[in-house]
Parts: sequence; structure tokens; C-alpha cells
Amino acid sequence: MQKRIVCSILLCCIAFLAKAQHSRIVGSIVSGSKPLAGVAVLLNHGQVLSVTDSLGGFYFNQLVKGRYVITIQAAGYEAYHNRVLVADTLIKLPVIALKSKINQLEEVTVVNSYATMRKRESTLLPDVVSQDYLLRNSGGSLMKSLEKLPGIKAIGIGSGNAKPLIRGLGFNQVVVVENGMKHEGQQWGADHGLEIDQYAAGRVEIVKGPAAIIHGSDAIAGVVDIQAPALPEPHTSGGAVALTGKSNNALWTVSANAFTRTQRWFVTGRVTATEYADYRVPADTVYIYSYAAALHKNRVRNTAGRELNLHVSTGWVGNNVQSVFNASRTYSRSGFFANAHGLEPRRVDAALHDASDRDIQLPSQEVVHYKLMNRTSFQFAGHRAEVQVGVQQNFRQEWNRYVNHGYMPAVYPAHMTIPSTLERQYDKTVTSLLLKDEWQWGNHTITVGGSGDYQRNSIDGWSFLIPAFTQWNAGAYLYDKWKLHPQWLVSAAVRYDYGQIRMKPYTDWFASEVVNNGDTMQQFLSRSQQALRSFSSVNWSAGISHTPGNWLFKMNVGSSFRMPIAKELGANGVNYHYFRYEKGNINLNAERSYQLDVAAGWNSSKASVTISPFLNYFPNYIFLNPTAAHDYYYGAGNQVFEYTQSRVMRYGAELQVRYDFLPHWSASLAAEYLYNRQLSGGKKGYTLPFTPPPSVLTGVTWRPAFRKGVSDTYFTLEWRVAAAQNRIVPPERTTPSYQLFDFSAGTRMLTKGQPIYVHLQVQNLFNTNYLNHTSFYRLIALPEAGRNIVLSLRVPLLWKAPAAGSN
Amino acid sequence: MKRNLFTMLLLCAAVLAGCSKNDEAVDSEYPVIDITGADAFPVQCSVLERGKTVTFKARFTDNVALGSYSLDIHHNFDHHTHSTEVNTCAESPNKTPVKPLVFIKDYTLPAGARDYTATATISIPADVDTGDYHFMIRLTDKEGWQTIKGLSIKIQ
Repeated sequence: MQKRIVCSILLCCIAFLAKAQHSRIVGSIVSGSKPLAGVAVLLNHGQVLSVTDSLGGFYFNQLVKGRYVITIQAAGYEAYHNRVLVADTLIKLPVIALKSKINQLEEVTVVNSYATMRKRESTLLPDVVSQDYLLRNSGGSLMKSLEKLPGIKAIGIGSGNAKPLIRGLGFNQVVVVENGMKHEGQQWGADHGLEIDQYAAGRVEIVKGPAAIIHGSDAIAGVVDIQAPALPEPHTSGGAVALTGKSNNALWTVSANAFTRTQRWFVTGRVTATEYADYRVPADTVYIYSYAAALHKNRVRNTAGRELNLHVSTGWVGNNVQSVFNASRTYSRSGFFANAHGLEPRRVDAALHDASDRDIQLPSQEVVHYKLMNRTSFQFAGHRAEVQVGVQQNFRQEWNRYVNHGYMPAVYPAHMTIPSTLERQYDKTVTSLLLKDEWQWGNHTITVGGSGDYQRNSIDGWSFLIPAFTQWNAGAYLYDKWKLHPQWLVSAAVRYDYGQIRMKPYTDWFASEVVNNGDTMQQFLSRSQQALRSFSSVNWSAGISHTPGNWLFKMNVGSSFRMPIAKELGANGVNYHYFRYEKGNINLNAERSYQLDVAAGWNSSKASVTISPFLNYFPNYIFLNPTAAHDYYYGAGNQVFEYTQSRVMRYGAELQVRYDFLPHWSASLAAEYLYNRQLSGGKKGYTLPFTPPPSVLTGVTWRPAFRKGVSDTYFTLEWRVAAAQNRIVPPERTTPSYQLFDFSAGTRMLTKGQPIYVHLQVQNLFNTNYLNHTSFYRLIALPEAGRNIVLSLRVPLLWKAPAAGSN
Repeated sequence: MKRNLFTMLLLCAAVLAGCSKNDEAVDSEYPVIDITGADAFPVQCSVLERGKTVTFKARFTDNVALGSYSLDIHHNFDHHTHSTEVNTCAESPNKTPVKPLVFIKDYTLPAGARDYTATATISIPADVDTGDYHFMIRLTDKEGWQTIKGLSIKIQ
């Protein structure tokens, strides 16, 4: 298989090297007298793309003689169109001066052209969404806001916490990158959200496919790359206020940001505060393992929460050097559904819990995440080098009333120094370093890079699940993007990684009854032994992209790997969310994955179609296997779930269609299909947990053109049909099919030169009672949130506009 | 143009062909705990006496093969949970445990058994706290499907 791909790539190369005698266009873009860097220049409406360098220069190589149209769209500037006749071998264009659009702080157009560029300049097909998209589709958390993209799901707990699931894989198989650096939270649990402020994201890029080359271990299923908004323009000051309200859980959010920049220095800051009540479901009783729990006023008891996020960024922008510091603190506290946490379904003090729907009682979680990083880039002699250093801390506490199980004392002993309500605590500190250099060598864009990180994890609390550990990783890669022809791109990459994890010992604080030769003794059981594991891996990737006219064809094949995490190696305790005993295996191998991705698309101004199938094989997928056994020492009589490895095959596809059938009307369709199968091990023939069922999202949008002062108005009706998921693996339950309707509308109003953006959404229009197969609470048959009306308002403010003369 | 269209259709066809593949049957049925038999013990609201030995008895069935079971008796002095049974029993007032009975034990079942009546003897020490307890039966089948039954009992 691999041989054949390599052969076809080589054949293509030969065919295109034979062609010669091409022309070249060079030009540069300025605003006033300042060169504009990073602007996308489109040739023939996006057939070929170029991005300006730090001096505003751009070029197109290997053009056939003829007529071309050049289009430039940049944030805050009027669009530029021009026709060029290419008759000579070198066409030097006069300097293009873009006209500034004052007060138009919109990033939509630049994101659209950026997305088009990324889709053409990569052999894997990424999805790119803007801040505006996030606001229009605002869900309870960043991942919930991205769920309309095919192949993307959020696996969530409650209304405010969710993490990404890409083509059915999630947790540590997806890397989340914020401002260029891997976000290091407690990725292993379905109850852990992402400690990321969705209001601070300027752009989100999602790669559904192996991305181990750039990101190293863990990027098996893909990457969610959260990028900061563009730097402010020189000599401007401004800010924005965004307000969001939601009816279902009485949520309010205020997010305000401010920025200022001189020629070289800039400072930006943001504060986001959120508070929400218990969310509501269209049911008055839920059945947790056949135990009926009544819900007061349809509210999921104790799922309220609050968040407070702070960001500060400052830096210096030179012609050839740019250095940016980012500091952030995200804090969240939220309750767990009180009836479904602990060793069994619990009867709770309903009077206490139901007295207020805004308070957070036990059980609850509290997470604070700090980040401090610097990213410095240099441009010299055709090189673009980047150094990034960062420190982050994730401090997570899970609070619950002491519940004795197994041989724990019935009453919490007074001599214990751990608070009686501190069930679990995880404290992770990660220091990282990233290096990268990119340069042009003929038609090749060559990137070399390296990364290293060291992490320390400590634990606390009266219950035990995973041991404390330290870990370090190092990796280096070489990546070549070869532009054979304006329409042909070949990429090849190789990466080496090495990592070491050191597990710390842990002994119970209480004695268990152990029967030895007929004598019953009291013993403090050891749950984790000192252990050291090392892993290394060589990964590779090769791809080809062909973009003739309106068409797009891509093929990429690559390998990825993932070092087993501490939980998989050393878990030895009861998981209170699922009433089960989870047991790690210190001898697990690094998980490997091979994936073939193909994409084909057609795009015009009126319509577009993209289909992206994939085939994925794991020789040793790490799977938490429910066994037939029970354990009474470590598992308090619960069923034993053991980490094992099995061969897994997966395939699927996503389809995206857009058609503008009338001048102001457009229709869209996004469909996804996924098939998972275990080929060996105890669950041979079964699927993998959390496999989303096939689903289709159809939408119709009307964009009327109103009188002056009102623009970008839209009305959208969306209809999601999800099939039943009958392929399950213990302990899952089959999930019936469902249909869901969403309505959204929005506009941009201009009053006295001040734009105001308004977005309205009605999620689950008909208050449908349905189950989501990838929801954390699916196992206890808790329906998803009922009707939710979301109103968002954004007011961008510009205190100091760029001086008119300089533009 | 035509060739491109053809490539795209071929891709669609390949995906659809992949979708239509059928699965060989895997076991997706839960094992069953049956305590409706005349001699099943304990049942909802049963009373266990201190200083005596009681015999647990229940019928377990599964469509393919049974796995194992575990029994767990723990106090419910704070009335923290509810049994899985529909009818409720009269409860004594809440109290703080002094020396509650803790009984946890897992048991194997004959390999390949599909219908098995399990028995186990449990001795109740004479000095444990009396009052409301839970009696949990957890049963798995070979594939790892688990059924839980929680009974409210009393120790006197």
C-alpha cells in the first residue's frame, strides 16, 4: 500500500518536472508607507495563493502565460481586485496600497481567505472557524460551539464542560493547542473540561487526522489549534464588549477586552466572567441504573457553575523580530449531578439542593489553570525562526462528602490532615520549549523543529485513582513542502520522539482485612509501586495535493503515536462517576496508528462540495476493557475494568455541501459516518466506546439585504438527524435516533458609525427529549438539555483610529 | 473536469461500499439476577440476625455465559441510597455508625454456565451495629455486561 503511494507521488513529480518555461509575478502590499505582512493574495479567485512576508512582498511562480485576476482581502482594509496580463517571464507589479476601513474590526473576510489558503496549502484538509463563527454558534463551552462541524463532537459533563472528540477519538488522542503551545490539562477524564476561554479565541483550526509530526505524542486523532486574535494595528487603541445570555441554565457572560499599540509595542487584555444555574432537561425523572431520581422543576440537580478568566498579552513587533508574552488564568467551579456521583446512585438532601438552582453544593469540581509563555520569531536571510517557552499549571480539586467504601472506616478519622470533603486533587506543572525554523529552498518550504517538556504531577485527597508521577518528552522533526507546480503540492515529514514517565508509590491510609493462611490480618494495601517506563517512536507522513481550477484533491498517509498516560499505566481505584474499578497496566506499549486520508472537493462562488474519507488502523489501541471479574480489596466489590491493547480498524467520511440556490438564499449539508471495530482482544468484534452514530445536519440560510446601517443579516434554520447507535461495547447502552431543530439569526447594526453585532439562537427548538451517545451522562440515561435561547451582543470600540494620512 | 468528477464519484462509491458491510453478531445482552424464587434470600426488606449464619441464594442466567458475582453489605444509617427495588421498607431513624458490618466478597461462577443458582454463606458477627443496610448483588457475564441489584435489608 505504502509502496504504491510513494510510486504514484514519484510519477507525478516526474510528469511535472518535464514541464518548463513558466512565468513569475512579484509584488508588494503596503498600508500608507508600512508594509503589510501576512496578507493572503489570491490569484484567479483562490486557484493559487501567496501570503506576504514581513516586507509585504509576495510572488507567484511557474505561471502559464495568460490573463490573471489578483484579489486581496485583509482585515480592516477595502478589498482589492486587479487584472494582470502575463506575457513575459517576470511581471513586476507596482506597489499595491490598501485602503483602510475604519471601524470595521471584523475578522471574517481574512479568516475566509485564510481558510481557503490553508485548505490549499496543506495535504490534510483543515477546518477553520473565526471568532464570529464561535459567537454565532455559541455553546456552553468552546467544544460545544464547534459541534456543527462534521466529524467533531464534544464529550461533555453538565452544561459548561466539554472536550473534543474527533472522529470518535478524544481524551489524550486529541491535542489542544493554544497560541502555539500544547494545552496541558487533566485530559484523561470525561468530566474534565478544557480550561480555555472561548471568547479569547481569534481563530480555531481543526485537523482531523494524524498530526504527530508537528505536535508529537497524542495527536493521533487530530489537533484543535486555538489561535489568538490578530495583533492590533499600529497606533490604534480599542476594545470590545461581548454579552451572552442563555435561557436554559440562566447563564450570563460578560467578556471585555482592550488593546493599544504604538508603532512597536502593544498590550491587550481580556476579562471573561460567566455564571450559570442548574440546566434543564425535558424530563421530570431520570433512571440511574434503574434507580428513579426525581428532578425538581426539570433541573439537573447541582450542575450550576461559574468561571472567571483573565488574559494579558504584551509584546514588541519589529520588522524582523517579534516577541509576544501571554499570561492567563482560567478558573472554573461547577457541580456534579448530585444523584449520580459516588459508589451508587444517591438519594440526596433534596431540600438542600433544590433550595437554590444557582448554588454549587457537593459534589463539585474546581479547576484553576495558569499559563505564562513567550513566543519570539525572527526573520533573517529567508529564514523564519521561532522560539517558544512556557510554563503552565493545572490545579484540579474534586469535592465530595466522605463516603466509606471497601474497608475505609465508617466515620472519617479526626486525625486525617486531608479535608474530609477533598475527594481527589491533581496538581500538574508543565514547562515546555519549542523551536522551529522555516525557510524556502527553491520550490521547497523546509521546516525543522524540536520540542521538549518536563511535567510534575502530584495528588491528594482521601480517595485514590492514579499515582503521582513525573514525565519528560523530547522530539525533533523535519518537514518538506514541495510546490511542484502552482496546482501540485507534495509534502513529506519525519519525526523522532523519546519520553520517560516515572510513577510514584502510594499506600492506602486505611487498613484492609486480608486473609492469609486462614488468619485475618489488617494490612495497608499498596496501590502503586515505583516504576519507570521509557518510550520512543519514529513517525512519518507523506501527502499530495492537487488543486486544478475549482477542484481540490488531497491524499495523506502517516503514522502517529501516543505514550500511555499515568492513568493507563497506574490506575488502581474506583471511578466514582461510573461505579467501577479501573486498573492500569504498567507494561502497556506506546499506542501506534496508521491513517490514510483522502479529500476531494469542488468550490465555486455559488456552490461547494467536499468529501473526506479516511482509513485508520491501530496495531495496539489502548482500551479500558470491562472484564467479568469483581474485586473487593481495591475495587470495593465493583466490576474490574482493565487497560489492555487490541488491534482496531476504523474508517469513515465527512461530507460538506453548500449551494446558494437564490441570490440571498443558501443551503448547507454536513454529514458524517464512522465505523470502529476491534480486531483482537477480549472485545473482538465490538466497536469502541463513544462511537458517534451517523448524522446529517441540514441548514437553510436567508441573508436579506436591508437598508443602510444594517448588514450581514442572516436567518438560519438547521435540522439535525442522528441515526440510532446500536453498535455498542459494555457498559454502553444503545442510543435511539433523534431529530433536532435549531434556529439562529443575527445582524450587524451601524448607529452613528458604531457597529453592534447581535446574534440570537434557539437551540433544541421543540424541547425534544433525546439522548446523545457521546455525552458523559449517557450511561445514566440523562437526556440532553431542553430548549435554550441564546442572545449574544458584541460591541467593538475604537478609541484611537490609525491617522488618516498614514493610510 | 469529467475525470475529476469521476474520481469524486469513485470516492463516494468506495465510502458507501464500506458502509454497507455487515457485522458478525456480538453479545449485547445483560445477565439476569432472579430473586423471585421461593427460596431466594435475601429479598427486599429481609431481616438478617446478628450472631447467625445466613445463606445467600439467587438464580443467575445469561444468553451466552455467566462471568462472576460480588456481594456487598454496607450500612445505610444515613439513608444515602435507594435500592433498585420498587417497594420501600420501613426505615429506622438516621444514626452515626460505631461498628457497622462491612462485608465485601467476590465469587467465581462455573465457566460457561448459562443458568446457575448461586449460594454463599455469610456469617453476621454478634457485635455489629443493628439497623438499615444495603445488600448489593453485582453480576457480570463473560463479555463484561453487568447487572446490579440493590436490596434494602435490616440487621437485628
